[in-house]
Amino acid sequence: MKSWMSFLLSNDEYKRLKMLHFYAEGGVLLFIAMLVLFLTNDYFGLGPDVIVLLGMMVFIFYVSTRYMFAGIEYPDMTSEKSYRKEVRVTLMRSVTFLGIFSGFYLLLVDIPTTAEAWIDLAGIAIITSVVMFVSTFISLKRSYKKNRELL
Amino acid sequence: MKNNVKITRMKLSITQQHLARKVGVARQTIGLIEKGQYNPSLKLCIAIAKELDATLDDLFWEEEAE
Repeated sequence: MKSWMSFLLSNDEYKRLKMLHFYAEGGVLLFIAMLVLFLTNDYFGLGPDVIVLLGMMVFIFYVSTRYMFAGIEYPDMTSEKSYRKEVRVTLMRSVTFLGIFSGFYLLLVDIPTTAEAWIDLAGIAIITSVVMFVSTFISLKRSYKKNRELL
Repeated sequence: MKNNVKITRMKLSITQQHLARKVGVARQTIGLIEKGQYNPSLKLCIAIAKELDATLDDLFWEEEAE
């Protein structure tokens, strides 16, 4: 079945179906979140930019979390050797991201002048790379476990 | 859905990875089909049947116990 969002989906039919479910569930949750905000925003008084941001976060967080825990990102990984290799690659990728992010920040944005500014930069870079590593690691582990069960 | 994909594949000494590559899906999808945890599309059923040199009846028809 052709759709304009086919580029967001996998060629593998099982993975494509799962992804469609996640997007659809995310869409319904987004609608519910918007409805709740519409009915209660007189009380909260959130600005339109905050509401849009909240909506995007609900959708992105839900879809990516479901994807991460579904164990479908690495559908061909079954050997322990390839699993361990991928864990190392993931770790290296996160460390590389940490270096590149910090480097670009220092080059393009600003060089911190106070200890507090350095801590802020290090905090953002470290938290982002840790989140990146943990999310990929969970996805990897879930995929490996699922694949082993299906052998 | 119960099926005979795994038995037929093993008789032909074909790996999940090989079958998956031949029919254009991931190895995980073949595993899920074999375990009865995913019902493939008719297009994929036919591709698997052709690759295993079997009919859809051989692979996917569930015989009722008498």
